[in-house]
Amino acid sequence: MKKLLVLALAVLALAGCAPKDSRTHITLQRFFGECRANVPKGKPPLRNPDGECEVITRLLDQFRQQNPDIDLSVNIVAWPGYDQLSAEYAAGDPPDIAIMHQSAMPDYQKRGLIAPLDADFRQAGIDPADFTPAARQGVTIDGHVYGMPFDNWMQLWHINTALFARAGLMKDGQPVLPHSPDELIQQARQFKARTGLPYLIQATANEQASYTRNLYTYLMDQHAVFFTDPKHIRLDTPEARRVVDLFRRMYAEGLMTHDQDYPAATQAFLNGQGGVYQVGTWMIGTFTSESETPGHPLYRAYTVKPYPMLYGSAPTAYVDGHAWVMPTRPRTPAQKEAVLRLMKFLQQHDFDWSRTGHLPSQIQVAQSAQYLALPHRRDIIGLATVGRQLPHDIQRQFAISDIIGDEMASAVTGHKPTEQALQDAQRRVNDLLYNLI
Amino acid sequence: MSPRNARTLRDGLTLIVLIALGLVMLTPLIWTVMLSLKSNGELLRSTANAFHGPWTLENYGTILKNSQVFRWLMNSAIVSGCTTIGVLVLSSLAGYGFSRVEFPGRDALFLFVLFGLAIPEQAVIITRHQMFSFLHLHNSYPGLILPGLSAPFGVFLMTQYFRAIPKELDEAALLDNASRLKVFWKVLLPLTVPAQATLGIFTFLASWNDYWWPLISATRADMFTLTVGLASSQINFAQTSGLGYLMTQAVFAAVPILIVYVIFQKYIVKAVSGAAVR
Repeated sequence: MKKLLVLALAVLALAGCAPKDSRTHITLQRFFGECRANVPKGKPPLRNPDGECEVITRLLDQFRQQNPDIDLSVNIVAWPGYDQLSAEYAAGDPPDIAIMHQSAMPDYQKRGLIAPLDADFRQAGIDPADFTPAARQGVTIDGHVYGMPFDNWMQLWHINTALFARAGLMKDGQPVLPHSPDELIQQARQFKARTGLPYLIQATANEQASYTRNLYTYLMDQHAVFFTDPKHIRLDTPEARRVVDLFRRMYAEGLMTHDQDYPAATQAFLNGQGGVYQVGTWMIGTFTSESETPGHPLYRAYTVKPYPMLYGSAPTAYVDGHAWVMPTRPRTPAQKEAVLRLMKFLQQHDFDWSRTGHLPSQIQVAQSAQYLALPHRRDIIGLATVGRQLPHDIQRQFAISDIIGDEMASAVTGHKPTEQALQDAQRRVNDLLYNLI
Repeated sequence: MSPRNARTLRDGLTLIVLIALGLVMLTPLIWTVMLSLKSNGELLRSTANAFHGPWTLENYGTILKNSQVFRWLMNSAIVSGCTTIGVLVLSSLAGYGFSRVEFPGRDALFLFVLFGLAIPEQAVIITRHQMFSFLHLHNSYPGLILPGLSAPFGVFLMTQYFRAIPKELDEAALLDNASRLKVFWKVLLPLTVPAQATLGIFTFLASWNDYWWPLISATRADMFTLTVGLASSQINFAQTSGLGYLMTQAVFAAVPILIVYVIFQKYIVKAVSGAAVR
């Protein structure tokens, strides 16, 4: 017993003599999942090398390897991670750097919870002029830069070109897209008549954000000002009614899929059950891979385009994006320097991230031959310039999106008259914004 | 038809209906297991072929290769185990006190405890979070265990159970010079084992499956419980691109619960049928 005690004391004493870790410790918080099993340290991913999780895991491994003086802890949280982040703020222990949707940044900026980075960026040699216009807009609030943009993403028209060809909607190897609501209806009818399939695939159950993004894009297409000020939305307007009525008509005529949730809609597109799938940039890699696999319904039958403009001629689209922010908290100069070094590293690896399908946030990458050589990127890169976010003084954009999507779903599926749905959406959003502290 | 034949027919029909209902209950569970044995890529294209091969254990391998998963499993076991023991001890003592000990304000205090049944967690979570922040209890085992110890249902259940035990038993023991603690420990507590088992099982299940409080109290990956940890490891849009893995997570998280069920199924059945509470 005595011997055991002496041994235990000796072990404790030795542990006490262990050299103190002199590295600078910082914590990064992110979503995108955990895939260490697929990304062995120091090796390329075993599969799905262009997946979000795989790319970010690899990048952070590389950063650790290149910066041995920094002890980087990575805290992976469930998407979107805001419950945990808010809880960490409440407990006074937010991470040093966190991933955030650009549309969520105003919620934190208005409360002083994320730090302005203008001066720090200057010091670290990061020039916001290098950001693409859409990315710069996404991280700039009240004239100050609050984050390192990581990407921009938006919904796109993913197109089954084989079905388009059967429908007589291909010309010179390119899909023929509509330029007006009437043209859209006419082409969709032609598509259905010749293929027997719906023109549009859209998730209409449990996935309302898609509706909201459609509405935003086509309101922007009409140059509609739907946020008159940070506390008021205007949706009971002719412009909004036009958009909702268009989708309502397509739904009623069977020109779009019914009763599909997000996985079902994705499966429908992959199995050639419709012409156009309105979904985000993140699916480009998956669909491209399917289009390169012989025997699969999408084999050599896939392309992707920005939303066709139906009301105006100037291209535009509602975009959002991811950004790295520095939560406000006490930190040493060394920790701050480490965070900025990490941000700079992520900026320099913008191309790696753009392989996921998201648009690059750096002009240099957006214009690079390397990026433009990636599948379909030439067709969509224009959105990095013309894509628009909601005004950056609008808070609670996630909640607003849910409300609008909810009401739009009711209107499009015929459960509510268009006017009532838009009035209800307007009232509910304005109630939400009115009650903000 | 003779009465005996009629009874056999009735029993047979009942059995058929019960088997049919059992299959209805089992179908989603079997489907979940089948989906967990398919590759994510295949399920991305179609979930209709869940019951056809090829099968793979790739998703289970992915979970087991996650360096943190056994830590999360241990955290869940510690939190659920300690919460269960704590609730049993506190509820038994409180139940004994409320049912057997006369003290001023006893009924009012019991009523006050019962109010806890009517207050949802959502109503207190912000103040609780602030209190735990003040006490620096987040990202710690006490931070995860202590909230679960406040169990008005447990107090109510044990009080009612103790009340149903004849007081003559206590009186006989007291006449034999036993102390109150001895009466509680040696005489009454053994009689409450069915209720303890019921309460223990429900507490363990609730604690194991809890998501919200661990989500906001344990914000560091090494302190995640299994539910929060598995959720954090999901890729975005997992229901589409990682469905097999998602289902594997569900199966993996359910296995310990199934083990608990198998061990204590006698008590669970009693609890559900109300037989454990006299």
